[in-house]
Order: sequence, then structure tokens, then C-alpha cells
Amino acid sequence: MSVTSPATSAPVASSRFQGRGALLGAGLVILALLPLLTGASPYMLGLLISALILSGLALSWALLGNLGGMVSFGHAAFFGVGSYASALLAAKLGVPVLLAIPLGGVVATLSSIAMLPALRLSGPYFALAILAYAQIFRILATELDWLTGGAAGLQRYPGLPTLFGIDLADRAGSYVVVLACVVLFAVVYVLLRKSHVGTALRAIAESEDATRVVGVNATLLKSWMLFLSAFIAGVFGALNAHIIGFLEPDYAFSGVWSVMPIIAAVFGGYRSVLGPIFGAVVIYLFDQVIAKSLIPVGHQILLGIVLAIMVLLAPNGLAGLVRRFFTKGQFNKTSEKSHAGA
Amino acid sequence: MLELDAVTVRFGGLTALSDISFHIKKGEILGLVGPNGAGKTTLFNSISGLVKARGRITFNGTDVTGLPLHKRARAGIGRTFQIPQPMHHLSVRENLAVAQVFGAGRHDENRIDEILAVMELSHKADADAANALALQELKRLEIAKALATEPKLLLLDEVLAGLESNAKRSFMMKLKELHKLFGLTIVIVEHDIETISGLCTRAVVLNFGQLIADGSPTEVFNNPAVVESYTGTAHA
Repeated sequence: MSVTSPATSAPVASSRFQGRGALLGAGLVILALLPLLTGASPYMLGLLISALILSGLALSWALLGNLGGMVSFGHAAFFGVGSYASALLAAKLGVPVLLAIPLGGVVATLSSIAMLPALRLSGPYFALAILAYAQIFRILATELDWLTGGAAGLQRYPGLPTLFGIDLADRAGSYVVVLACVVLFAVVYVLLRKSHVGTALRAIAESEDATRVVGVNATLLKSWMLFLSAFIAGVFGALNAHIIGFLEPDYAFSGVWSVMPIIAAVFGGYRSVLGPIFGAVVIYLFDQVIAKSLIPVGHQILLGIVLAIMVLLAPNGLAGLVRRFFTKGQFNKTSEKSHAGA
Repeated sequence: MLELDAVTVRFGGLTALSDISFHIKKGEILGLVGPNGAGKTTLFNSISGLVKARGRITFNGTDVTGLPLHKRARAGIGRTFQIPQPMHHLSVRENLAVAQVFGAGRHDENRIDEILAVMELSHKADADAANALALQELKRLEIAKALATEPKLLLLDEVLAGLESNAKRSFMMKLKELHKLFGLTIVIVEHDIETISGLCTRAVVLNFGQLIADGSPTEVFNNPAVVESYTGTAHA
């Protein structure tokens, strides 16, 4: 049995945080350099932009699952509401696109208020309730054709603008904007997780009564996580809408936006911050570049196989594998030193 | 400090508590005793807000009957569970920090260190996750967590259960120390008559959800109704 004194364990905990921060920073730098490493062809940039949109969505899903303890099968609702809200604000009210995007997130957050009663549910019941909500929003987008254009969709709305002489609608510009948003929300996630609120949220996921009995308002904190998750998903929906330039209900509220973030987050390791981000990039590129070339129709079957292998062999995903690799390395170094000392 | 007026709890057709009325004075150490299934834990659950009760529960002059669990904790009602419920994957210090920030509305590391020292958990503060602690340490953490919320009333649900006699004696001394040090009012659920007699100034006995005796430990344990509830036979 090992006993660690408080005096030694506090710096260990602190250095663990710094180590994680460094890992996060290094990971994001690699992500930022990807377009250069790939030669930055317009096709590859387009793929990476889509992968990063999925990263943002996976991050918002993982935040709700990890900190809020809720499994959502309906993130398409927030994604779709954010995309329609931002596009309509820009097209019909002339709101500048860079303001309409966060407002899209705000509208997605407001839409999540309708889901608050579902917070009383847990496990599969919550997941199914959110799935039902997502369907309701898709139907609303189809039926309210005076506002949304109905099934025909929306096409004439502004794309990303030019800022300080940089054309953000250009692939490289769009890539930078989406990447900046992923980094911003990853930092928010890290800060939140390290805060007392984040600590309490992790505890709620384990034992709600144990936290409520010491004064934690579990329902309120879970509501905040739902709002934040909806906001992030809404922002990435809005970004996607202004980058691709068209919207229709079956696309904006597609089940793909509910399922893919789950696959990406679980593949990457949803308990970590970097896991969902890198999981999305790897999964999306694997699907579009490798799986599609192998099986042009029905290529998603390969995604299922890869995910099943990952869950069976490494339940903590890519992040868990990386952590295991570094821990093993450290263990080996320590044992080498102790052997040398002996 | 705490006043219960006709507190009744029903689970479907089962009446777990029936018209329980008594009060607890500030600074008292009150023993809550009774055979298994008497309603002791249900009474704790209704005072702390874990189950809804009919009747009226007044704490420090405020009616808390309708308040949710977290608000009662913030009002100064701290409690422990019979089976310790730590926040498993958090360290001991993190457990206390969450309890302090949300229960007492402030973060004071010095105070947390004081509580850790009193509860003899300083050496475990940052080392392991709470789920790695031994039973006695878990019981101390359970109390430390409640103390971090800065309670005025502390409800201890069988904190001495499962401890061997020496550990039990030292735990009793610890409870007396806490009572003085933090100026607490304590209600403790306990089966052991010696413990109640050695620790409490007053005892309340429940049986089948009804209050059957209230008085000094000596009076209560000589009460024929109490003897009958424990032995199943009338007092000779």
C-alpha cells in the first residue's frame, strides 16, 4: 500500500493539471497545422472544416455526458435550431453574420428550455425524450414554411464575411474561424471542469444524493450544462449553415448530427476534452477518405466496425490509449531508474 | 432549534412515520433509537428533505417542510448516511471543497485543513479517490463532509455501526469533541444502549413509525414499552 503525504501529492496534482494543459495545447497546435501538413488542397480543407464542425458538436455532446451525466440522442435539435436561427437572423433581419452565429447559439439554448422537464428523467428515458424533441424541431422547420422555406429549404442568406481584409468565406478563412471556435469552447470546457462547479458536476454524475445533501443544487447545475451544450451545438450549426450556404430541415435536423457526435466522442474518449475533438477528426477523415473509397455505398458500416473494435479493446477511446501509452512510458522510466539505483 | 409537528410519511399504503412530534434544543445530543424498520432513517430523510413529509418541520424558527434537500443543507442541516455516500472519484479534499463551496457558500482551505485534522484525514486528503478509503475512514469523511457545510444541526445515521469496540469508543470521544469544538446540536441514530447512555443527554424511541418514549437515556431504557419493542416481551 502506498501512502502519499499531502505535501508531496499537491504538487503532483498540480503538475498533472499542467501536463494535461500542455497536452491540450500540443494537440491543438497539431490540429491547427493539419491543413499545412496535408498541402491545404481545397478538397482537404473542406473535409477538415466538416471534421472540425463535427469536433465542436462532439465536444458539446461530451460536455453534457461527462459533466451533466446525460446521454443525448438529440443534438441534431440544437444544431438545426442554431443553423436556422443564424441564417434567418442574417437573411431576414440583416444581423451581421459574426453576430448572428452566437445568436444562433442563444436561440438553440432557448430551445433547450423546452427540454428542461426531461432533466427529471435519467439514462435511456432522457436519451429517448431528447430524441423526440429533435424530431419535433425537424417537423416545425418543415411546417413553418413562411419562416423557414419549408421542405424546399433556405438558400439566399449571407455567408461568412470579410474581416480585416481576410475573406472568411474562403476555405482557409472558414477553417481558421471554425478552429478558433473549437479552441475557445475547449478552453471553456477545461476551465469549467477544473472549477468547483465542474467538480460538483462530476460528483452528481456518480451520486446525486451525496451532492444534494451538501447543498449542491443538482437540477440547476445540470440545466446549465444542457444550456451550455445546446449553445455550443447551436454555434457550430450556425457556422456550418453560413459555410455551406443552404439549409433544409432533413439536412439541418438530420439524425447524422445526433449519431456522429456520439460515435466521434466515444471513439476519441468522451471523458477527456481532446478525445471528442480528435475522435471527430479521425472518424470523419476515415469515413470520407478511406471508408468511402473502399465501399462507396454503405461506407458507414466500416464506422460501426471501427467503433465496435475501439469500444471492445479501448473503452476509454483514443484519449485512453494515449494516456496508457504515456503512463506505460513513465512506468518503464521509473523502473529503469530504480533498477539503476539498485 | 428543530421542531417536528405531526410529521407523517407514507410510502403507498405503508405508513413509515405517524404523527411524530418532538423538539430538539440547541446544543443537545439526542439519541434516536428503535428496532429495525422503526422509521429512524425515514425521520432523518424527512428532516433533511430526502423524502416528502406531511406535518410541519421548523428549523431555527423557519418552516423548512417544503424546502428541497440542498436548501436545507444550506440552512444548516447536515447529515450522514448509514452507508457512507462519498463523492467516490473525488479526493477527500475535493469532497470537502464541494461541500464547503455549495453548503457554506465559501471556499476556505484553512477551514478544510482544520476539519481534516480534527477528523484525522489529513494524510488522506489528496492521496487517493474517496472510494479507496477503508470503512472507518469513509465514516470520518462522511462526517467531515457534513462539517464542511458548517451545519448547526448534525444528523448522524449509524456512524458507529460496523466498528469494533475500541474504534467505537474512540469515535464516541471524537463526537463529543466535535460537539464542543463546532458548537453543534447532534441527533444520532444508534442501536447500542451503552453508546446512547454514554453520549446522549436525551433519547427518543420510535417503533413501527410511532414515537413511544422521550426522556433521559436511563428513563427511556427502563420504559416497559421500549423494552417490549426490543425484546418482543413485556417488561418484568
